[in-house]
Amino acid sequence: MELDFLATVLLSSLSSASILLIATLGLAVVYGLMGVINLAHGEFLMVGAYSALTATQIGLPYPLAIPFAVAMTMLIGATVELLIIRKLYGRIFDTMLATWGLGMVFNQAAVLIFGTVSPGIGMPQWNFQIGDYSLAFYPIAMIFVAAVMLAFVYFLMTHTVYGMKARASIQEPQMAQAIGIDSSRVNTMTFAIGCGLAGFAGAILLPIIPATPSMGLFFAVKGFLTVVVAGPVALTGSAITALGLGGGASVTASFMTSVVGDVFFFLMTALLLWLYPLGISANWRRKL
Amino acid sequence: MFEKLHSNAGLIFPLIVAGAALAFSGALDPYLAFVATSWVIFGLLGLSLDVIWGRGGFLSLAQTAFYGLGGYLGAVIAINFAPSLGLSLLWALPSAAVFGALIAAALGYLIFFSRMGELQSTILSYTFTLLLWSVTQTFKIDIGAAVIGGDNGLSNIPGIILGVGEEAKKLKPNAAFACVVFISAVVYFFTRWLMRSNFGKIVDCIRIDIEKTELLGYDIRKFQVLNFAYSGAVAGLAGALFALWANYLNPSIFSVQEALLVPIYVLVGGLGTLAGPFLGALIIGALSFWLGGGAAGGQTTLILGAVLILLVMFLHNGFLGALDNLWKRYLPDPNDAARDAGAVKIDTEVLDQILSEAAEQAGPAKNLSTDEAFKSFGGVIPVNKVSREFKPGKPYSLIGPNGAGKSSFLKTCVGIYRPEGGTILLDNDDITRAQIFDRVHKGMGVKNQKPQVFGENTVFENLWIAAFARTKDRAAADETATRILNMLGMEAQKAVQASALSHGQQQWLDIGMVLCLAPRVVLLDEPAAGMTNEETRELSLLVRTLAKHTTVVVVEHDMEFVRTLEGHVTVLHQGNLFAEGDIDTLRANDAVLDIYLGRGEHV
Amino acid sequence: MKNLLGTVSLVSAMTLTSTAALAEVKVGAIFDLTGGLNIYGIQQDNALDLAIASVNAAGGVNGEEVVVVGYDAQSELSKYTQFAQTAVLRDGIAAMFAGLTSSSREAIRPIFREANIPYFYSSLYEGGACDKQTFVTGSSASQQLSVLMEWAVENYGPRIYIMAPDYNFGTISGHWVHEYAKQLGAEVVGEDYLALSVTDYAPTIQKIQASNPDLVVALPVGAAQTGFLEQFAAAGLKDSIGVVSTNYGSGNQQVVVSPQAGEGLVSAMGYFPSVESDANAEFLAAWEEAYGTDTPVVAGAVDVWNAVHLWAAAANKAGTTDADEVIAALESGLTFEAPNGTVTLEPGSHHLRQDIYIARGDANNGFEIIATFEDSEPTYENEVCNLIDNPDAAEHFTPEG
Repeated sequence: MELDFLATVLLSSLSSASILLIATLGLAVVYGLMGVINLAHGEFLMVGAYSALTATQIGLPYPLAIPFAVAMTMLIGATVELLIIRKLYGRIFDTMLATWGLGMVFNQAAVLIFGTVSPGIGMPQWNFQIGDYSLAFYPIAMIFVAAVMLAFVYFLMTHTVYGMKARASIQEPQMAQAIGIDSSRVNTMTFAIGCGLAGFAGAILLPIIPATPSMGLFFAVKGFLTVVVAGPVALTGSAITALGLGGGASVTASFMTSVVGDVFFFLMTALLLWLYPLGISANWRRKL
Repeated sequence: MFEKLHSNAGLIFPLIVAGAALAFSGALDPYLAFVATSWVIFGLLGLSLDVIWGRGGFLSLAQTAFYGLGGYLGAVIAINFAPSLGLSLLWALPSAAVFGALIAAALGYLIFFSRMGELQSTILSYTFTLLLWSVTQTFKIDIGAAVIGGDNGLSNIPGIILGVGEEAKKLKPNAAFACVVFISAVVYFFTRWLMRSNFGKIVDCIRIDIEKTELLGYDIRKFQVLNFAYSGAVAGLAGALFALWANYLNPSIFSVQEALLVPIYVLVGGLGTLAGPFLGALIIGALSFWLGGGAAGGQTTLILGAVLILLVMFLHNGFLGALDNLWKRYLPDPNDAARDAGAVKIDTEVLDQILSEAAEQAGPAKNLSTDEAFKSFGGVIPVNKVSREFKPGKPYSLIGPNGAGKSSFLKTCVGIYRPEGGTILLDNDDITRAQIFDRVHKGMGVKNQKPQVFGENTVFENLWIAAFARTKDRAAADETATRILNMLGMEAQKAVQASALSHGQQQWLDIGMVLCLAPRVVLLDEPAAGMTNEETRELSLLVRTLAKHTTVVVVEHDMEFVRTLEGHVTVLHQGNLFAEGDIDTLRANDAVLDIYLGRGEHV
Repeated sequence: MKNLLGTVSLVSAMTLTSTAALAEVKVGAIFDLTGGLNIYGIQQDNALDLAIASVNAAGGVNGEEVVVVGYDAQSELSKYTQFAQTAVLRDGIAAMFAGLTSSSREAIRPIFREANIPYFYSSLYEGGACDKQTFVTGSSASQQLSVLMEWAVENYGPRIYIMAPDYNFGTISGHWVHEYAKQLGAEVVGEDYLALSVTDYAPTIQKIQASNPDLVVALPVGAAQTGFLEQFAAAGLKDSIGVVSTNYGSGNQQVVVSPQAGEGLVSAMGYFPSVESDANAEFLAAWEEAYGTDTPVVAGAVDVWNAVHLWAAAANKAGTTDADEVIAALESGLTFEAPNGTVTLEPGSHHLRQDIYIARGDANNGFEIIATFEDSEPTYENEVCNLIDNPDAAEHFTPEG
């Protein structure tokens, strides 16, 4: 195996893992800080993609379309939290089922609003050469995007008033209440941020994954597995799991076939859950 | 009369419905009979989930996997045998049920024996279905006359054939409907019987409080796996019926959409009701059939999604659950009796007698000892190399300020926490690594800090299930439970739901359940919490009597209570043994006062 | 809750009233109007309505009006079975037009065989279906690939890479690429069969570069295809390696793909909207009047249009809608002036002899036809399937054996 091939495999596997992480981070934040599994996460990703697409169609440049998508999904996320999630606190499986129903509604609504045919926005035609291999620049840039996203969420959680409140609410709920933190307001914010991150993912990945009503499905499925395998330490755990599972599956796909890559992903998930019945981070000391 | 009807509603109404369906099956329009057959089959699939989720408490998203695998296997066998021999049901159903059960048992072993978290379990079951979905797309194999062709599926599956031989014809839609209704009814009534049997009662307890069930000595993992296997068998059976109904199978049976449709059937009808999934499948089937016909412009998914959200939010118990609540309002409330409960009066003679008999049956009291037991959570070390021996005779009290590690030490002895170092001995038996239920078998009886009772069950059922764990015999369990019930003075509350009892009464019930186990070592974590002064006095009497027959360790905050126990007192501080002696000596000990008041050099 | 119960009673009410018969001919239709496959399903259904309207405008079938009983399969396979049975048991249909995926056809084919009702399957597919009651108006993989591979090897070179979804359409198409490569003296230098869930094509693109092909046969479906093409173009490979396909443009791909990724891609199918003929102009005019110009007409829609007209012609020829006689008429070598040229129903294989067009994507998300292979035979199906000599055959032939 030549060196340049190995280098491209490594780089593109890292990019695959980063794409998975970008798509998963919102889910991880919501699960880590609220204990809620949002099964409509993939549909929020889709909403983000369509928002960005619509924005570019009415003349907004793509870099401005991304914040628009984030704002849209955050708004919808906050509304959903107020109307549905709030009523189901502490009932994790009910929340899962309700958000799944929500996903179905979003999906069909997208078909009604946008139809089944939407033009793509195209990927920047930049590429670079490693030995004999040519790589598209944009997917590789996702490694950087994932790192920035991770840093942003980390900063948000550790250096902002909201972040302190959010962490206090999940780690020391009674104490948080005693010092006057309104946990339901914090939760609304957390859910909105989680959905905003999904919207951001949908918008930033739009050049790679064209907007279709069902675009979020496979990402969401792998995202759930990632978050659940990661366990309670949502942020670090998910980053490591995404890197391991997503990167591993991509390397497997490079040397064998993508079907084997998928099987690898699912079998590794099962194996990790067998070894770590409560997620890999169940016994970690860090909390973020 | 109405109360009787209510308690047998799950028998009578399904009998009427099944009977009516069979009676009128011939008069149905053939196409409706055909479509309705699928609803009954989906109901059966829903029943399989209700068994493991509504009763067992585990939301499995692998039901369609067992359903599909059962269907495929049953179909392959039927394709090979039915054309020449007839009797397609005979070939397909048993093999599918066995296959479904085996696969479920294997998956269940993975989940329950590793003691996976509940979210992790659900997601793993989902992973299993997804894995099948991706693998079967390209899975091609010829097995005799059956051609499994990847995504093109498996065709030429015979219909339902009851006759024998080559000429036997498949049933017409109406007869097939009647046949499927009959089979489903048989499965339903069997499931109902199973869920009301001892097995079902234990499964119910596992759902309500898994830790307590294990603390009664039941090997919960075994029951969970068995229950899952049964649900797999029902799902496999439903899959085979579906294969014979559709005459065609394809990997889409393992799809995400299919997997998530099953919980909807269950939720719509009513979780845990067993009959509910059939009603749910009927409603959803009729709804999607009607909408699919074009009446609502084909917005089925939109409407189904909205229905799901509304159901979860406003009708969590489904149709049957809501009906049940409505009906109960017009029935006398059995929990009324909880309000007239009198004070508990412990009769030491009766107690002595019970305990002596227990000693005859379960052997002499055992010593509990720890040697350098160690447990840490991250940087916190709640149990730091504690070595101590506890013997019968007088009660032992563990005291210490908040966070001293008293409860953690107890939990380490019980096995709720796994120690990282040291050994724990029961007499000379090393139980450091033993499972919780195993320790209970060996004679440990535990009452945790919060009263742990099965809230949905009656007081008597609570005691009975504890007694049955030891006696394994219905009559003996009846007798033991009745004696303890009488001793606790709770005869009037026999039929009251445990959740309706006051906090103090729940403590007594919990203690009663521990007594039913005839334990050789008793560990009590703050038993006096929530009790009145009178009750505390009775409790002290009970603990002292108990200590004459068994080893008793009590963790307690209430110093007055500890004093009345007149036993040996151990002070724990920051996970270490700090001081020992009787209560009066310790009261005079300045160091002990220092740690309690948080002053001085010992903090 | 009352509504739900109302639904149940309404369904039963429908049962009781649906038996009244009028002087009309009923045909059934099952397409995916909702769910993931409705990109195709809605157009197929639109084409059916348009075709039935045109048949009725021309006097109907034997003087009777044709009425459609339509169902939405919701992109779910079990719904196909259910509605097919409903159509047979309740509706008393004379013919059925249904299905998109091969699995949907395989699910319902036995039902119409048993009921002896002519069934028309109108979609491009991997080929090989053979059944007395089943008629296929879409093109088969071998039909398209035989002409496409010849053109591609001649224009790009002999080194071929196959990139296809890992299920029957992909693997059987792959088989034909191997077969035609051998005949043409070309070489398959690599192949990759992808899981349906793949959205990340970096590993595939590396493997393509590693085997250094002249052309890639790209057969992923739907959004997967556009994703691949975008990534392929962005990696800067589009100019050095040719991309050909037999399903690019069968749905909405050419609209979704950005112009820089879609321009220059070559596709071979039985129909493109840019076919120049009077029949096509008329058809497109009628389509635009009914449904507007928002979405380009897909091949599957034209296949449905052709199926309806062939059935109507056969029924008129037979003078009845009796199944045996209509099937006999369908097997009499019927031809029809279709939007995509003259099509002929092969009596033996029940497949269509039709023109295959090779088209190149232009800069405006459209296609420019660069070659027409007139009257292409469904060679493989004609070879393995002869329902005149062997009317009891009911099989789905696959070339691997």
